Amino acid sequence: MKRLGSAVLLLAIVLVQVTWAPRMTVAGAFPNLALVAVIAITWTGGVRSGLAWACIAGLMLDLTAAGPLGPHAVALLAGAYLTGFWNRNFDRESLLQPVIAAALSTALYSLVLVAADDTLGLPVPPIGVAVQLMVAASVYNALVMPFGLALLRSQAPTPREAA
Amino acid sequence: MYGRRSSSSTGLFLTLCAAMLLLAMVSEQAWAAGARGAAKSVFAPLEAAMTQLAGNVDRVTSVFGDVSALRAENQRLKAADEALRRQVVELNAAAKENATLREALDFERSFGHHMVAAQVVGRGPDGFSRTLEVDRGTADGVQPGMVVTTAAGLVGRVTEAGPHGAIVQTLADPQSRVNVFLSQSALQGTVTGGPTALQFEIEHSLGITAASGEWALTSGVGGGYPRGLVVGELASVTRRDSSTSDEALLAWVNDPASLSLVLVITDFVPS
Repeated sequence: MKRLGSAVLLLAIVLVQVTWAPRMTVAGAFPNLALVAVIAITWTGGVRSGLAWACIAGLMLDLTAAGPLGPHAVALLAGAYLTGFWNRNFDRESLLQPVIAAALSTALYSLVLVAADDTLGLPVPPIGVAVQLMVAASVYNALVMPFGLALLRSQAPTPREAA
Repeated sequence: MYGRRSSSSTGLFLTLCAAMLLLAMVSEQAWAAGARGAAKSVFAPLEAAMTQLAGNVDRVTSVFGDVSALRAENQRLKAADEALRRQVVELNAAAKENATLREALDFERSFGHHMVAAQVVGRGPDGFSRTLEVDRGTADGVQPGMVVTTAAGLVGRVTEAGPHGAIVQTLADPQSRVNVFLSQSALQGTVTGGPTALQFEIEHSLGITAASGEWALTSGVGGGYPRGLVVGELASVTRRDSSTSDEALLAWVNDPASLSLVLVITDFVPS
């Protein structure tokens, strides 16, 4: 039941991303709320949980984008895996570390997305444009990350409730 | 223990990546296009509901804030300005209508093509592909390759179509290309998408130079788009004497963030 609720929440986040988020475009980029959600889930719930939700969110994004199903899922999986690595090796309680993880995961997400499109024979943007968009999206998502993490932590049960 | 957990998550990561890449290769096949389009159509009603909700929220919040009211007023004035500019460029001014649907019907009549009006229900999930999702699909006669426009000018092209939804690659998409000519100097060139403005490469012609403020219209060269659709206004030109072309920035007549209704030209077949 809890998983169904989480899936509905993730669907809502994806819908917000493809309807509301583009209104907040700065320097050609807008916040990738699905990626921020996956990073926050990975940071708080662990890498296996993050990978599972990355797959689901990625497929939802693929259903709203042009092209085959799968590239966004692969890109989100890479972002979740990098976040898991970061989480294992750095201070989990620090506020700065998830922000750095969000920036790096966004950069990796962008690289994987462009590479996956290129591998599948789909058109890709020129390298200069891709780098500009990647940097802008990384900064944007890093700024949004603390809010996403705070929201997720406020929804998660406290240790006493969980017990 | 820690190492085992790390390697098991790596295994899960690699397995899921392989599965998703396999799915991508399968769903990319031509025989899977129908199923893919149908799957994508499932999201269209949800996106339409969310877009409507966004509109309602905007209306409610505008009651509480002057900023929102001013922004809405600014958008309204910008839309009116775009329509007026198009009338000047195309020299076939018709009475300007406030209602978007009425405006669309007028445009269809003056343009002379058969069109289907479609509501924008969603946008691409990232900056790498500037696409729109509309609520019309193959059931309404919309097919991949069809040209999409508004009363102000060209929007882009349908890339995928499901039964009740379609995805449109806009001119802002970095992979988009359209051949245009300038209204006064008649210089020709190619417009490509960009993250903040359309990039325009103007071919040199002896003794003729392009000037800011000129209008760019589709040239019809290549057969991808019908001739005469307004694309944008020349914002700035960077001359390159050592090259065979100049670089310019084009202000697109359509603001992709505020597009809500588009027209799909259903009787023009790109060659």
